[in-house]
Amino acid sequence: MASKPVLTPKFIVRAVLIGAIVVALAVLPAFIDSYTLRIATGALMWAGLACAWNIVGGYAGYISFGHSAFFGIGAYTTAILMQSDVGASFFVTLLPAIILAIAVAVAIGGPTMRLRGAYFAIATWAFAEMLLQLVTVLDVTGGTAGLSLPAYLNEFFFYYTMLIAATASFVGTWLLIEHSRFGFRIKALRDDEPAAESLGIRTNLVKVQSFALSAAITALFGSIYAYWTTYIDPHSVMGPEITDQMVVMVLLGGLGTVWGPALGAVLLWITNRYIWSTFGDTVIYLPILGVIIALVVLFLPNGLISLVVGRQRGKELISSILSKL
Amino acid sequence: MDLFLQTLVNGILIGGILICLTIGFQLTFGVLHVIDFAVGGWAMLGGYTAYWLVTLAGIDPFISIFLVFALFLLIGRGLGPLIYRVRTSRYARPDLMALAFTFGIFLFMRGGALWLWSYNSRSVESVLSGQFLSLGPVTIPLMRLSAFLMALLFSLGLFILLYRSRFGMAVRALAQNRDHAGLMGVDVKRVSAWVYGIYTGLTASAGVLIATIYSVNPTVGIRYTLFAFFVAVLAGLGSVGGVLVAGLALGLLEAYVATYIGARYSLLIVFGTLYLALLVAPKGVLGRGI
Repeated sequence: MASKPVLTPKFIVRAVLIGAIVVALAVLPAFIDSYTLRIATGALMWAGLACAWNIVGGYAGYISFGHSAFFGIGAYTTAILMQSDVGASFFVTLLPAIILAIAVAVAIGGPTMRLRGAYFAIATWAFAEMLLQLVTVLDVTGGTAGLSLPAYLNEFFFYYTMLIAATASFVGTWLLIEHSRFGFRIKALRDDEPAAESLGIRTNLVKVQSFALSAAITALFGSIYAYWTTYIDPHSVMGPEITDQMVVMVLLGGLGTVWGPALGAVLLWITNRYIWSTFGDTVIYLPILGVIIALVVLFLPNGLISLVVGRQRGKELISSILSKL
Repeated sequence: MDLFLQTLVNGILIGGILICLTIGFQLTFGVLHVIDFAVGGWAMLGGYTAYWLVTLAGIDPFISIFLVFALFLLIGRGLGPLIYRVRTSRYARPDLMALAFTFGIFLFMRGGALWLWSYNSRSVESVLSGQFLSLGPVTIPLMRLSAFLMALLFSLGLFILLYRSRFGMAVRALAQNRDHAGLMGVDVKRVSAWVYGIYTGLTASAGVLIATIYSVNPTVGIRYTLFAFFVAVLAGLGSVGGVLVAGLALGLLEAYVATYIGARYSLLIVFGTLYLALLVAPKGVLGRGI
């Protein structure tokens, strides 16, 4: 397998651009008030989550409606370990959260990813809904009442934790997908599964690997989110709205692109917060999401990023992703 | 034994309504090849419309169901051309784009309902509320019995339309082969749009029946979308006949789990079974075709 030379001009430009953005984000808290800081923290979280969903939905070409399950697994693992007698500290809980998410992803990923297209979407949704019902009836998760975590009211801590996680998620997927053998395999799988198989790529393994990677990142954000909000219940961390937002953000930004998911996530999250501050505590955001997705499908099927990279290229990109689902 | 018989009757009565909920969904898949994520949303809106009609105008749900059917027939007929446009577009995978489109519609309905009515449940009363029919050891609420009969009436109506009318012939021809049907003089776009209208009308009517038995709130949409998927997967996507058996199967499963294991576990087991059914037999157990 021919490997690309890594230090191409394009790579360097991108790396410098990403570095500049990260530095700008790192000094940002010095210039904004605490309310804006909270919004920025949320934006980082959703950008990271959108990148994670994009690994499976965009690059591997499997539209998952079940990612809220992994977000919830992360949140509940952290919450249970921190509030129980064990009294684990926050960073210690991250490892079991991620391991549990990977274990679940491997266990359900193998059989589920044999399904194609809409069947996969339905199966992941059914799985997530099943898990939501499970945490509602279990005792250890506090049932419908939910769980409280020890409060740590340091907004800077959460901003920088989210920044590190989001940067790792973004840079990690970028390097992995665009500049590694794993990336070649996953794209081969997406473009032509039988051909990839005949080239000796173990497509089942690649599918499960990408699903597990995506799940691990999603769970990581779930953990941080739980500690950040200090109170979780089944619907706040496992409700379908979590997955809905991830899907809409990626579709809006551009499926299977590096920048699209983050762009879509930040735009939608800021819209969300603007609606909150203007109209108060309202769910009007959800129908707006619905309208956005319908309009994107009708008029901009390749996402906002296609306006930047050019419609034609966007079209080819999306065709290659979707043609073999 | 009495409990067993009572549960059997409950399951069959619910199953009938699930048949009505899914039969239009299957028709839409058979003709348009669209898996409509919004199916539970149509049912929810049908329930709310019945609630309004009974509260504001005092129209009994078993009468207003015909109004609901007509109203949603027209709404679906209006939306049909858009679905058809996405489904037959030149995107590489129009079926998944159509899926995303209906997902957007569903999100719009669900969010809009939450915004308008918050999480409160509304129950839909009828003149039959609180009346029972005793058959030996089994007690049947008249509401459930009428809802069941109404569901059968609507499903029967669909079968008559499909197999005893020129329009039905066109629909079946479309389901067989869209291009050939077009060449034989079927107005493919128009028939597809009407099929979507009939589907929304039927599903909203099923929603009225569900609302008379349980209650309606904005979040029930998700549950009924998954229920419809369940029945459809069990029946084989696109199979209208298989729905009769699969709908009863789900009704019985839910009733027996609720009686013998506990109501709080019923959804857990239903969704677990759906997940397993997809893994074991994604193409359905009961055959294909219209």
